[in-house]
Amino acid sequence: MRLSVIMPVHNRETYVRAALRSLLRQRAAADLDIIVIDDGSTDGSAQAVRAMMDEAPCIRLFQQENMGVTGARNSGLKRLEPETELVSFLDSDDISPAGRFAADLDFFRRDPSLELTYSRMMLVDRIDEETLEPTPDSNSITVRGIHLTAAIFSRRLVDRIGGFDEDFVQAEDTDFLLRGFEIGPRYVLPDTLALYYRRHAGNMTRLEDVQSREFMRAIYKSMKRRRANPSLRPIDGIFELKKLADWRFM
Amino acid sequence: MALSGVYAVASKDIVFESFDGEAVVLDLSNGKYFGFSDSGSKVWQALSSGVGTEALILSAEGAAMVGADALETFVARLVELGLLAPSSATPLPSPDDLPAALAAASEPLDVSVHDDLADLITVDPIHEVEEPLGWPAVKQVP
Repeated sequence: MRLSVIMPVHNRETYVRAALRSLLRQRAAADLDIIVIDDGSTDGSAQAVRAMMDEAPCIRLFQQENMGVTGARNSGLKRLEPETELVSFLDSDDISPAGRFAADLDFFRRDPSLELTYSRMMLVDRIDEETLEPTPDSNSITVRGIHLTAAIFSRRLVDRIGGFDEDFVQAEDTDFLLRGFEIGPRYVLPDTLALYYRRHAGNMTRLEDVQSREFMRAIYKSMKRRRANPSLRPIDGIFELKKLADWRFM
Repeated sequence: MALSGVYAVASKDIVFESFDGEAVVLDLSNGKYFGFSDSGSKVWQALSSGVGTEALILSAEGAAMVGADALETFVARLVELGLLAPSSATPLPSPDDLPAALAAASEPLDVSVHDDLADLITVDPIHEVEEPLGWPAVKQVP
């Protein structure tokens, strides 16, 4: 099955190779198409990606002026080709665990009407850069959180959801997922580990006012959509995050 | 229930924003979130910013959707939901544009309660971060 994975990159030279390697190691599980959107990086991110393309022609790199992550994700969606049957996302500083695609693609093979798998994520503070697995001394916690990489969407569902809402400077992923679940797709919630989510100094360690506001905007928009269209579904029983209360080490 | 002279947001767990003039309120302690009718949004914004109830009732005189009795019932509901609490602060006057905004409202006072995103709201990502803990800093759900 043709699976397209969209990866926006902005100044992630240090991590983007590992993120791509974590996908390439799964080439046997899917007809993999990796769409990298370099969103105006000023470091060596694009060169790092290009250096891997000789060995891995399934990587397609597109460079654009900096638009922000929402615009970059939409650029990725616009690059989908007609052959794409399934769509997922990986951020350029995260890792796709070995076996992730094999496990969840199996659900699609067994049920042609399936539109979405939504799996679990591991927050982890140390990853071995060779094996791309958490180190033995790492701290980690596994939840069914809110993260695009937890999802594999059927192409039809992506088309039904539409693009990312460019009103959002952040929380565009929350909004996209809420819209996805509201329209009542046929989904399963596998126990597959869909990503290792690095907690490091470079990603969002503090929540600024704008982040809070954007998150609340996603909730507001969801509420408003459902008020206007009662056929949309509440989003019960998807996210399981309470274990995050134990996350105290970073 | 007689109206207190002035109210305040009931706790630090109650956070709110306004989008396109409509308020959305989250209770971070239990993950519930709240939406309002158009008149309810205006009244929430006034009360949560410390406008006194007397001033509010005067501002609502020309508003078909906001009678004094309905206002009393609505405020009692907000207190019951744990969103507002009586305050000893000095009541603030109504903003100049409030009478017109209330008069323009087309829906009765109403607040809707939702809890389908409770897991998400109680952990992600509104809470203030204490530096030693980093993020996500999570409040235990009782």
